[in-house]
Formats: sequence, C-alpha cells, structure tokens
Amino acid sequence: MNIIVGVSDMRVSNDPNSVLITYSLGSCIGISIYDPMVKVGGLLHFMLPDSRLDEGKARRNPLMFADTGIPALFKAAYELGAAKQRMRVIVVGGAQILDQKGFFNIGKRNNMAVRKLFWKNKVMIDYEAVGGNVNRTIKLQISDGGTWLKTSGQQFEKI
Amino acid sequence: MIDITSIIKGIDKLKPIPQVTQKVMAIANDPMSSATDLADIIQYDPALTANILRVCNSAFFGLAKRIDSIHQAVAYLGMDQVVGMAMLNLGSENLKQAQQGYDLREGELWKYSVLSAFMARELADNKKQKGKHLIFTGALLKDIGKTVLSEYVGNYFDDIEKAIADRNITFRDAEKLIIGIDHAAVGAMVAEKWNFSGKMVDIIRNHHLGAGWPEDDIDLATVYVADTLCMIMGIGVGSDGLAYRFHPAVVKKLHLNDIDLQMLMASFCEKFHELEKLLTCVQGISV
Repeated sequence: MNIIVGVSDMRVSNDPNSVLITYSLGSCIGISIYDPMVKVGGLLHFMLPDSRLDEGKARRNPLMFADTGIPALFKAAYELGAAKQRMRVIVVGGAQILDQKGFFNIGKRNNMAVRKLFWKNKVMIDYEAVGGNVNRTIKLQISDGGTWLKTSGQQFEKI
Repeated sequence: MIDITSIIKGIDKLKPIPQVTQKVMAIANDPMSSATDLADIIQYDPALTANILRVCNSAFFGLAKRIDSIHQAVAYLGMDQVVGMAMLNLGSENLKQAQQGYDLREGELWKYSVLSAFMARELADNKKQKGKHLIFTGALLKDIGKTVLSEYVGNYFDDIEKAIADRNITFRDAEKLIIGIDHAAVGAMVAEKWNFSGKMVDIIRNHHLGAGWPEDDIDLATVYVADTLCMIMGIGVGSDGLAYRFHPAVVKKLHLNDIDLQMLMASFCEKFHELEKLLTCVQGISV
C-alpha cells in the first residue's frame, strides 16, 4: 500500500505492506531512513532550513523545517525500535532554479542544514542526490528497505 | 523542427471560452462597471452560480456567514474574488487532465495553477496592488500552453533535456529550440483566441521573464514570483523541473526580502489542506 508523504510531512512505519512515497521535491529535501534489522523505515519531506523563521509555524508544523523535522523523523523511528548505527540514510532534493546562486537559494540552504545536523549527531549519509535543477520523487519499501528515485521526466530507478 | 501549424491546430481543440466567462472578463476589465453588473451577468448561468457559491462556502474561505446568492457573494467577497472564481471554472475545464509529456499526473497542473494564483493574489494584496483579478487569472492560466505542447515535449524530451545540459538554457528556451515554439508563446496564442486583454496575453507570454520582458510591469513580476515559489516548493513541477531562470531584481522590485519569501511559502504550506478542499469544490463542474 502506497502511503503518500506530503510537503512538510513524514511517515514512519514497520508495516511490511507499506511503501512510503513523496512526490516532487523541488528545493525541498526528502530524507529516507531504514533499519534493516527491525525493518523500520521513515520518510520526511521538509521545505525550509530553519524553524527560527516563525516559532508559531514551527510549533504547529515542525516537519516544515530541517532543524525540527529531522529530529522528529529519527525519534519516531527509534520509538519503533530502530537504531541510528544500523540505519541506511538517503538524502534527495534540494534543487535550485538556474542562476539562483546567492539570494534565496533555499535548496542549497536546506542541504546545508541537513549536513550540519547530521555532522553534529554523527549520522552518515549512505546515498544522496542533491542539487541541480531537477525535481525528484522517492519511495521506500518497508518490507526490505528497497528505495527508488525518480528524477524529472525519467522512470524510477532503484538506489 | 516540427510543423508549427499542427501545434496551432491543437489550440483549436481546446474547449472554447464560454460566453458568460467572456462577459465576466469584459466587466472585470471595465473600470466603469459595478459589482451589480457582475452579479447580474453571472446569475443567469445557474451552473456557474452554483459553483461560485460552492467555492464561496468552502473551508478555504472560512466565512462565518453562509452565502446564498451571487449578489451576496459579490457584496461580501468583492468583485476580484468572484471574477477569480469564474476563472477557476474555466481553468478546471482545461488544466485538470494529466500532461504526460510534462510528466504531470492528473490534477497536478491544476493544483499548481490554483496555488500559484492564490499566492499571486496574496502578494498583490500585501502590496495593495490594483487589478488583482488580472494577476489571479494570469497566474491561474499562464501554463495553459502546456496542455497543447505536452505531446510534443513528451516526444522530444531527450533532445530538450540535452539542449538544457549542453547549452545551459532554460526549459522554455529548449522547447523553442527543439520544437520551434515554447509553452508560454502557445499559452499567449490561446489567450488571444479566448479574446483575453492584451495585458493578460502579455502576462501569459512573459511569465518566465524571457528576453525583452517589460521590467516595469509589477503585475507580471507578481505572477513570476508566485510561479517561482511554487517551483521551489515542488508544486506541480514536472519534467521541466526547475530549469528556469531566477531574477533577483524582480523580487527586489516588489520590495520582498528572503524572509518575506520564506514566510509566504510557509503560510501557503499551511493552507494546503484547505486548498485541497477548494479543489474538490471546483472539480467535476461544467461551464
């Protein structure tokens, strides 16, 4: 069963029948985590790098931001028995519009926010497809951790 | 290069703009017309009236009071909003289908168009701009050309993709190079066929701000910024991805800074749920 993860949303599951999918990551970033031992996986689709933008919005929807969404994703997976050291971590998205070098480069800042948080918490990235000007869709199969990535105009490819 | 006349024939296959919508547009463009004139036109079209009332009373608007007549809707929400609702009807007829050439599933182009239109209007509201119906409709229908060009983009996608990579050009420029015409130009032809105002035709033609765009056009700048934010958010982004140019000067022209843009994205993200409900209201209609 496909479970769609919307913008500023996440899903964590240990149901082997579930496939988590998030569509059309522009400058947003999708983070997929999977612990093969307990077969627990999660998918986050966050939009902006820093929750200090608006405390109220961050409280109402912590999954909108990297710094509040990523901890929430890992915590939810831990609650189902996952362990950080066993997790396969995949990061995709963070695209940018052409010529968006300095001003308002949200894709790049989203990616920097992920790296900063992962470095601080000693999380290793196993696979990443970040940047460029393509949009991406990612899906994670909970039964075995199989993960597929689709970029603009192409078919799904297993990663 | 493809025979452009076959593409132009595709424009003729689009559903014609209903007479009532043409009249609504004429009233919206006439500074001497009144809210009553608008309501008087719409009230004789029961299907359009019913749909507008359904949208008015949807959760998206969250009105405390129930709206039961078109005159009440115009009085309560204002002409701009009601004109926008009439345009939603027109857009839903033409934008809902999947556009496989652009790798857009059913409803994706429509959802993106509506979100972009409401975002453009909010920007216009914030800046107290006039002519909000023009901005709303321009943002809503700016990608109508994709519905005509989709098949050609699908057939020549590999060439388009290669041109973007090799030449560092935008998707729109690559369409023009490979197919001979781009979706914005096709959209402008549709707008002309529908007898839209010259200003509306220009907004649709220039919404990606290609060479020679009128730099002082604040309405166009507003539509462009809303479109760009939707792209960044990944809303309705298909095979063209984010392969369009960013113009910081336009953002600054509207006196927007980095925080303003992020706040706008965050606010609209919170409205997704209500927007879904609004789309449900407008679906399945006939005009």
